[in-house]
Order: sequence, then structure tokens, then C-alpha cells
Amino acid sequence: MSARDNILRRIREANGHEGATGAKERETILARLDARVRGPMPTMDWETLPRFRERCIAMMSTIDEAGSFAEVPRAVASYLKQKNLPTSGACWPEFARLDWAGAGLRVEARPSHGEDKLGITGAFCALAENGTLMLLSGEDTHATTSLLPENHVAIVAASRIVRTMEDAWDLLRSERASLPRQVNFVSGPSRTADIEMTLVLGAHGPFRVHVIVVDA
Amino acid sequence: MKVGLFVTCLVDLMRPSIGFASLKLLESAGYEVVVPAAQTCCGQPGYNSGDRNAAQILAKKMLREFAGCDYIVVPSGSCGGMIRAHYPELLAEFPEMTQEVDSIARKTYELTDFLVNVARIDSVPGQFSGSVTYHDSCSGLREMNVKTQPRALLSKVAGLNIREMQQPEQCCGFGGTFAVKYGEISARITDLKCEDVQSAQADALVLGDLGCMLNIEGRMRRRGDNKTRVLHVAEVLAGMTDPVQDLDRRTAG
Amino acid sequence: MQVTSNQFKHAASLKLADPKVQKALRNAKGKLVVARSRSIVELDNFEEIREAAARIRDFGLQHMDVLLEEWEKKAAAAGTIVHWAETPQQVNDLVIGIARKHEVRKIIKSKSMLGEETNLNHALEAAGLDVRETDLGEYIIQQFGETPSHIIAPAVHKSMDDIADLFAEKHGRPRLDDIASLTHEAREILRPHFLDADMGISGANFLVAETGSTMIVTNEGNGRMTTTMPRVHVAITGIEKIVPTLEDISLLLRLLTRSATGQSISNYLSFTTGPKRPGDKDGPGEFHVIIVDAGRTKVLASEIREALRCIRCGACMNHCPVYQNIGGHAYGWVYPGPIGSILTPAYVGIENAIDLPNASTLCNQCGVVCPVKIPLPDLMRKLREEQVQKNLRPWPERLGLRLWAWTAARPAVYGLLTGIAARIGKWLGGRERLLHKLPAAGSEWTSGRDFPAPRGKTFRELYAQHRSRGTQ
Repeated sequence: MSARDNILRRIREANGHEGATGAKERETILARLDARVRGPMPTMDWETLPRFRERCIAMMSTIDEAGSFAEVPRAVASYLKQKNLPTSGACWPEFARLDWAGAGLRVEARPSHGEDKLGITGAFCALAENGTLMLLSGEDTHATTSLLPENHVAIVAASRIVRTMEDAWDLLRSERASLPRQVNFVSGPSRTADIEMTLVLGAHGPFRVHVIVVDA
Repeated sequence: MKVGLFVTCLVDLMRPSIGFASLKLLESAGYEVVVPAAQTCCGQPGYNSGDRNAAQILAKKMLREFAGCDYIVVPSGSCGGMIRAHYPELLAEFPEMTQEVDSIARKTYELTDFLVNVARIDSVPGQFSGSVTYHDSCSGLREMNVKTQPRALLSKVAGLNIREMQQPEQCCGFGGTFAVKYGEISARITDLKCEDVQSAQADALVLGDLGCMLNIEGRMRRRGDNKTRVLHVAEVLAGMTDPVQDLDRRTAG
Repeated sequence: MQVTSNQFKHAASLKLADPKVQKALRNAKGKLVVARSRSIVELDNFEEIREAAARIRDFGLQHMDVLLEEWEKKAAAAGTIVHWAETPQQVNDLVIGIARKHEVRKIIKSKSMLGEETNLNHALEAAGLDVRETDLGEYIIQQFGETPSHIIAPAVHKSMDDIADLFAEKHGRPRLDDIASLTHEAREILRPHFLDADMGISGANFLVAETGSTMIVTNEGNGRMTTTMPRVHVAITGIEKIVPTLEDISLLLRLLTRSATGQSISNYLSFTTGPKRPGDKDGPGEFHVIIVDAGRTKVLASEIREALRCIRCGACMNHCPVYQNIGGHAYGWVYPGPIGSILTPAYVGIENAIDLPNASTLCNQCGVVCPVKIPLPDLMRKLREEQVQKNLRPWPERLGLRLWAWTAARPAVYGLLTGIAARIGKWLGGRERLLHKLPAAGSEWTSGRDFPAPRGKTFRELYAQHRSRGTQ
């Protein structure tokens, strides 16, 4: 008998069953998986966009707005200049054709390999409840770009801001057949309080997250 | 309505005045109070030490003694909680007793809870000129929902004002046998409670459980505080706080 | 981790006397307790959500076999290689086997309490592998050669000065003197290892049956790196972590982060489903998940099975008056505080952790804050009952309790003995009405406290007189 067989057998015995689970019971359990019922949620009487803005700031991101995707490079340049940050880095391929050079930035559409100080990404969607970005792994959505550089800039269309994680899962299910390799929910710069319970921003991931909401 | 008074083993041995104060309060509220003469212990020491048999014997005895009462009132959240919250589980092995046990559990009240929510008294005999701070015993709070009731009653005592400590709901460190099995840890927890009591700067510490009372007072006196009085809520409400005895201590030197 | 739980009392004594530990514990308590209570306010139906969370976890326990099979099916379909391990030894052997197969030299680890249970790091190092903890707290204690003292904040017992000294020694750089600089130095030191490690090992906060995923809850970014950058990723997790749907996870997460650190959400929530996909530029070539029993099925079959609902938030220990004063190390194994007092005897053997279920006042501050409503004091009581049944209690205690029960069942004898005790006690208490010393077990009380004296007569005898006098 394999470890797997032994463990499953002991689980069944512990739960008062003899032998394999019957087809009817199995069906009931699987039906619960398919039903995907949402549990009780707290009262959320806030407007989506104001909430998203407020929560990004609460989670220590900074947030800005742009009227269109074309305006994004200038918005990014203005942020970097204001904070005295490096003006070159990597971006996701979907932003390759934005006029970075015109805004005085040197941005290459490639994965980040660790030397970059700036990573520019989009997001599958964003969650207003806690100021969260939902990033999916994929061919053109490199994981390292939002993770390795000290500065992460995220470009999010306003129409892609949903209210809760439950809403985000529904959106994902409606647009994709299955989960990608990794789904990451990112809520602000990396942090730790492991030393004397004192909060420090910039642990292993980015020191800064700047979100630009595009009116689209 | 017949009220059975269960004074608890600690009150019986250590502080009868709490029993008499409870009696006075219940009779003033208009109830016929019976005090079953053979009462001893609810079985909690055995129960919490894992000796179910010992606890079951005493629980069954208690059920017999208080069977004829409409209510059972206990000046203790700890023993009250034992009966209401734990007797059903303790006696679950005796399904023939389930109805009886559930009935007793439903009829059992901590004293201040009974006075406020059943008797609905609107005045108390006691007077007290000074300030008090109230400690919420864990079982009273978390098993018997005792929180607002003692404070509501204390605010009816002429001359008394309540000053809350910072963390009245924090455990005092007694825990029954815990205090004699892990005395060092227990005393440290009690010490923190004493500091909190001190921070309230009240004339007296008032509580609803004699176990917590003996524990906190014991540590308080060892710390050198002979000024703060330590009183049971029943004693304060009934006006039976015995100033002579407390005066003796403060002048004993 | 080695089990030293039977040295609990001695260890606790040392911690009570250690000013550094006491300062760290006060600091932690102040922050974690307050932070949690503030964040709970955001959930206006907190008790309703908590009840739903308990039901979700119970569903997972009740139908664990079907849910795990379903999880495995989905995980395998995504390319995950699934292993099952019955014992801690098997876990370590499997990990070493995977490492050997892939010619791994360097391993980065993001936190795993299960790895502490199996002594994984020790086994990997003995097998000649280079293992780096990357979670800042775990990295710090690894450098100290210590074990974690808390499941969420492993280095909570260390002061900034301790860590500054440590880093100066281990990193060979000038000593720093502020927390932010220390954190950023650790980032700098560990970054190269993220880039060149061959294998990443992580735990998993939950398994999602609906999708065949594992997920982790982190703040630092090391979790994402560990599960993305090396060419092989191994996740180890207990069977009880299985949760039905993504909706269930979303609900549990609202409670987990608030209960643990008072955060509405933790920085990174990472859901992993299989290895690198065709076209992905990043991700491990192979993703292994090891599903572990190691005593959990035994608990599932026992009277303490609710303990398996635990989602490892740490709220119970943060709110426990005992833990708040002695810290985690005194508990002697991986899990401290109330949950540790139950899981330790359950997993390492009840005779190897006799004190733990007894060293509690049963105040239930823990049960009130547990996000999945584990009846912690009741479970501790069950373990106390098991100790009595297995004759593990000291005979004076057994005798004392038996005598108490025998006497209390006989009111006349009881009345006689209590009458004597009340008189002797009053006499010994003197004018102060205090006893400074008590004999036998009582000395544990009087070493730190006085004992208020009895009043000289019992209530029962006074009441009998009162009745016979017919006075009001």
C-alpha cells in the first residue's frame, strides 16, 4: 500500500466511513465546489474608484491618474523626477509602443533580470477593497518585472478595477479557461516587521509601488 | 418563585459573608431563598484536572440537591459557568439525565446577572463612599456573559463611583489548580493585574469571583499594598463590607 | 525541531527572569493585540464571517479525502508532481530525493512550520545541501542557530541590538544601529541567492481543491521569489490545509491577516498551479507538492479534531496571558501558545509534553479570538482527561483530587473537615488575616503571593445557626 493509500484510508476511517466514498456523497461534495457560493462579506458601502485610491495610499502605494494610455509615459516620468528615481528600466511588452523616449525615459520591453531599478507592468485587474493589483503569470506578463526592481509602476485601466477578490475570481473565470501558473495579489511595497515588530518598507520586493489609473 | 442559593465551596470555607450578602440581596428582591444544607462543591476542580468521574459524582449530587428550585443563583461566574456551560458535556455519557441537566443549566444564573435580568431590581441596600474598580472574571465574562450587570448594580450604590482599570477583561492568573501547579507564571500574571488595579487609583477592587479575589488580594498584599480593599460585588451591593476587618489590616503594620 | 516540552516549567522560569525576553514580549503584545482589534472593526459582521470560516474548515475536515483527491487531479492536470508522506522522515527523504535528481546545490526557503516539524533544514544540510532561509525573521534565527519563538514573527524575542551584533559578525560589515538599515542589509545579502538558487522550498497556507493550487500569504517578497525563480519548486503542506473553493479562500483571508498582524490584507497572496507553462519567461521547470500526514490523521480520528481547523494566524498565542509572559521557546517545540499546547502532545506524544495542556488558566481569551472558533480550552481539558486515563498525573495530585471528591460527596464529613480548616486557617492568619506560607502544593502559591485567611467558620455552619435562631 502506498503512502497515498494509507493516508486516504486513515482519513476515511477517522471520518467514520468504511471503504471508498460513495458516488452520491462524492457528487454532493463536487457540487459544492462547482457552486462557488460566496460566504458572508462585510458591509461595503463605498464607491469603487475612491475606495481603490484611498486603500492604495493606506497600503503605502502612491497613486496617480492619466486621461489615456498615451499620457502614461509623461505621468511616469513626472513621478520618477519628483522622487528623484532612476529613469530606465523594463516594462511588459504590452506597453512597448508607448512613447517612453518622448518622456525622457529609457524603457525596454523585456523581463527584468535583477539590475533594473524600475519595473513597469500592467495588471489583469485591480481590487478596490484593499488597494490590490492582480497579476497573472504568462508569456508577456513577466513575474520578475514587478518583483525584483526597487520601484514598481503599475498601469491599470479604471474599467478593470473591481470591488473584491470574489469579483476578481469571477472576472478571471469569465475570461480564462483556467488559472495561470501563478496569480499574485500585490498590495503595496514589500514590507516586514520581523525586527522588534517595527514596520519597514522594502524587504525583498519593491520599495515603492506607484499605480497609474488610466481613464479607459 | 423559589431560588436555590449555591454559595460555592470557596465561599463556604473562606468568606461566608459573600453567602449572606447574596441571601440578603435575593430576599430583598422578594424571592423565597432555599439553601440546600448538603451543598459542597460543583465538581470543577476535578473536571478541569481531567478527572471526569470525580466531577460527575459531584455534579449528580448537585442536581439532586437543587432539583426543586425555579432558579439556581451562584455568586460566582466560575461555578455558575461550570453548571451552565459544562454540566451538559460532563454528563453527556448519561443520556437519561439529559433533560434534567439541560433544565438545571437553563435555571442557573450568576448573581448580578440574576438581579439585573430576572429580578430586575432598581435599588440596592448598600452604601459605599469611595471609588471602586471592577475585574471581569474570565468565566463570568466568557461563559456567563457577565459584563454590564455588576456595573449597572454598582452604579446604584449611593456614594460609589466606578473607575475602570485599563484591561478589566484580562485574566488575573488564578485558573484554579493552575495557581498551585504553575505558581511562578500565575504570580507574574497576577502581578500585572495588580499594576493595572493600581493604575485605576480606586479605593477598592470589586469582583464577582472569590477565586480571582483571593489570588489578586494575595499578590497585592505581598507587594505591600495594604490600602486597597478587595471586596466581592455581593458584599458591596448588600452593604456588608465589614469595615472593621479591613481596618484591622490597614493598621496591623 | 527537537522536543523539549517536558522542560516547560524550568524554561518558563528562565524566561520570566529574562529582562530582554520580557521587554520583547511586552512590545509584541502591545502591537499585535491592538492591531488586530482595530482591523476587526472593518468587518461589521465579524462573528458571522467567523462562523462561516469554522464551517468551511469543518467541511474540509469532514470531506478531506474527496477534496484531496479532487485537488490532486486538478494539480496533476496542470503539471504538478504530487507526493504523499506519512511521516516526517518521509518528507525529508522526498525533498532530498528531488534535490538529488535535479543536481541541486543551493536551496532557498520561504517559511514552513511543517519544515520545522520534520527538521527539514537539518536533514538537508546533513545531505550536503546549502539551505538559506529567506524570510527575514527565519533568516535571523537561522544565523543565530536558534528555533522560531512565534509562528508569524519568528525572531520576536530578539532585540534590534542583538540583530545588529549578529549582522556585523555574519556579514562582515560595519555595525548598523537602526531597523530599516538592518532590513535593507539583509535584502542586499540575500538577493544574490534568490537569483542563483537551484531549488525553492515553501510551505502552503492552503490547498484549493477547486483549482489544484497551493497558496501562500506573505509580506516580504521572498515567497514570490522562492516559488518563481529557481528551476525546481517544492511545496510541503499538511493534509488539513485543504479548502474547497477560491470563494472560501477569499473569506478565510479576510480573517487570517487581521487575526495575525492586524493587516486588512497581506502584501502578497500567491496562488500557484503547476510549473512553468509553454511561453512563460519565468517559473520553475518542475513543481512538486508533498502532502503530509505526520500525525494529522490520528488527530482527525480523535476528540481534539477541531484543532485541525487552525489556519496558523497566531492570534491565540498573542492573546494568551501565559504566552504573553513566557514567550514561545518555553513550549519546547514548533507551535507555542494555546494551539501549541494541543498540537504538541498530539504530534510528539502526550507523554512528551505533559505540562502544556495543564499550563493554562482556561480563560478562553484564545477561543474568543480564534478566527475558526476552535474551542481551545475544551481541547486542553480533553488532553488533561487523557493524561488521567493514561495514569500520567503525579500520584499526589490523583490522590488529592480523589480525596476531595470523596469528601465533597459526604456533606457531614466535609462539614467537619472544612470547619477544622477554617479555624486553623484563621488562627494561622493572625491579626493580618494573611497566611504567608502554605504547606505542600500550597507553597507554589505562597512563594509569590500571600493567602487571605479564612474567617473561622464555614457558611454552612453559620447558616445552620442563622436558621435555628430564626433571625433574618
